[in-house]
Amino acid sequence: MDRIIFGDNQFFGINHMSEAKAQAQLERFSDNRAIIEVLDLAYHSGLRGFMFSTHERVRDICGYFRANLASRPGLRLYPVLPYAQKYAAAVAERGILCVVKDAFITNNSPGRLAGSIVRGGVGMLTQDPFELMKVLVDAEMLMFRGLPLGVVFLQNVVADLLLGLRLGEAFVRFSEYVAARYGAEAGFMTMNLPAMAAYLQECGLKNPIVCASVNKIGYLMNPDRESYERTIAAGGFRPVAMSILASGAVPPEEAIEYACSLKNIESFVFGASSKKNIASTTSLLEQIRFQTEYELKAS
Amino acid sequence: MVSTLKGAVVGFGRMGITHCAILNTHSLVSMAAVCDTSSFMVGNFQKHTGIPGFADALRMFDAVALDFVVVATPTPSHHQIAREAFDRGVHVFVEKPLTLTASDSERLSLDAARAKLVNQVGYVNRFNEVFVAVKEVLTSGTLGEVYHFRCDMCAPTVLREPKGGWRGKRNTGGGCLMDFASHGIDLIHFFFGAPDRIAGSAVRRIYSQETEDAVYSTFLYHHGLSGHLAVNWSDESYRKPAYRIEFSGSNGRIAADQHGYRLYLRRSPAGSQYQSGWNVRHATDLNRPVRFYLRGNEFTSQLDYFIDKIRAGDTSNINSFASAAATDKTIQAILNDAGAA
Repeated sequence: MDRIIFGDNQFFGINHMSEAKAQAQLERFSDNRAIIEVLDLAYHSGLRGFMFSTHERVRDICGYFRANLASRPGLRLYPVLPYAQKYAAAVAERGILCVVKDAFITNNSPGRLAGSIVRGGVGMLTQDPFELMKVLVDAEMLMFRGLPLGVVFLQNVVADLLLGLRLGEAFVRFSEYVAARYGAEAGFMTMNLPAMAAYLQECGLKNPIVCASVNKIGYLMNPDRESYERTIAAGGFRPVAMSILASGAVPPEEAIEYACSLKNIESFVFGASSKKNIASTTSLLEQIRFQTEYELKAS
Repeated sequence: MVSTLKGAVVGFGRMGITHCAILNTHSLVSMAAVCDTSSFMVGNFQKHTGIPGFADALRMFDAVALDFVVVATPTPSHHQIAREAFDRGVHVFVEKPLTLTASDSERLSLDAARAKLVNQVGYVNRFNEVFVAVKEVLTSGTLGEVYHFRCDMCAPTVLREPKGGWRGKRNTGGGCLMDFASHGIDLIHFFFGAPDRIAGSAVRRIYSQETEDAVYSTFLYHHGLSGHLAVNWSDESYRKPAYRIEFSGSNGRIAADQHGYRLYLRRSPAGSQYQSGWNVRHATDLNRPVRFYLRGNEFTSQLDYFIDKIRAGDTSNINSFASAAATDKTIQAILNDAGAA
């Protein structure tokens, strides 16, 4: 796993702190070329790991990466699936099963459809939720074909839903499938890190990758910041920290100092839109991280 | 040891599953049944969790002794399931809107009062941290006399003609007014109470053939307050549902959305936390973590509140059936005023 992973929230108008900021970002990145420009800036400042939701527009960005893979050695993508907003309205309108069937049919080529039918048919798929999960994962992963993968993350709304319902088998099957089909490790995003880390281990997953908000002000850290700190210190899983800047609510230096003070964190996800911010956040992360590791070795 | 409350969820769609997951993580609740017409959903759920699944709510009530039920079925079946629950002494949480008509909602709210059971409706915005903070600004009198409000809501919910399902028709609970604008109308009731008169209403179709996709209306109050509601759920320029509310008062103005609020004051009232001029509060400042998070703090807060009320035997809860019936009355008034009833 890359130590620093470049995130994509800023490109799609996701900002927890300000609607005006989110809107300004949407306007700035309304053309994919503007996104690609920033991604290239990030790559050329040394970043190799890139996290992407399965937003429709990511399809084109993946196409760009595929076309230019040779000149971007070391590049690795970290898909997050599914992109929940894409399905939300349809699920409310027609029920989960109908949406799943539609996604299955529209996202698969006739050849693949025939293949799935040979393996048991649509009828069987609708009886077995884990078979359904596989075709949905494939449908979402289609846009990343041919690209080197780091970790395939299950997005937090789905992961936390499964956590709440105690459907642990889904986590195990997802991990197995992602490893078998894509040669990648599975990761789990959550807004409930302590509960998720404990449950994944309870389900028998060894040293699972768990990605959650980790920031000084405790934003989106449930039930509270202190239990996050205890859980991360206890180990047994590989924490990936996101929202370390809390959408800009914490000054960068302070934010990174806090995130780096938690010893077991394996990776940091951050997003930025300018060369200056990419460079300053990366160098802060590396500098503070280096110091921490040096101090650890010294002790 | 404290005994747990036995609960069930009827209607295992997007909202029902969300409620089930949140309740399933509550240490004082044990989920005893789920019910849905989809055998795939309840069958698989039962198989993998051991929680019994039913296709029919009455059978479920007969088979399982419950303390409470969450009803998240399409709106037309709300009143029958809720009445059945009251008859059996079961506390009820119902998704919004309460029923399809103001008269059904009023009758059901009277049944609820007679049953002396906790009755709550899922107008979740009353548990949103930003809107609760805005309400505090309002009740503290900081803005002076509020004389006008605006409530704008936009969402990318219906972007093509709804085919099949309940969403395409008003008599199955579909339409922007009942399914989406109801949240804004309830929010206006939360801030200012029910209007004395509705005027200048218009509803219009954008993609739907048999119901509306946009709603516009004017709210008038005897004491001089007026306000505008503008709702459009067929606006694809939004990534997800967005609310914008703004109040003007004799001492200033407040503008809020889910991300926070901006408050302008002519003068800072004595002892107030707000200065004269601009005051900005972000969602990141107002956020209070919850024991388990799924889709927003407010979803957990409203259900934990419901459980607390049951445990306390307190039926004076917010978002009661009576309160939701008042919202349905305003919905009906808008339909009548727009000539669309």
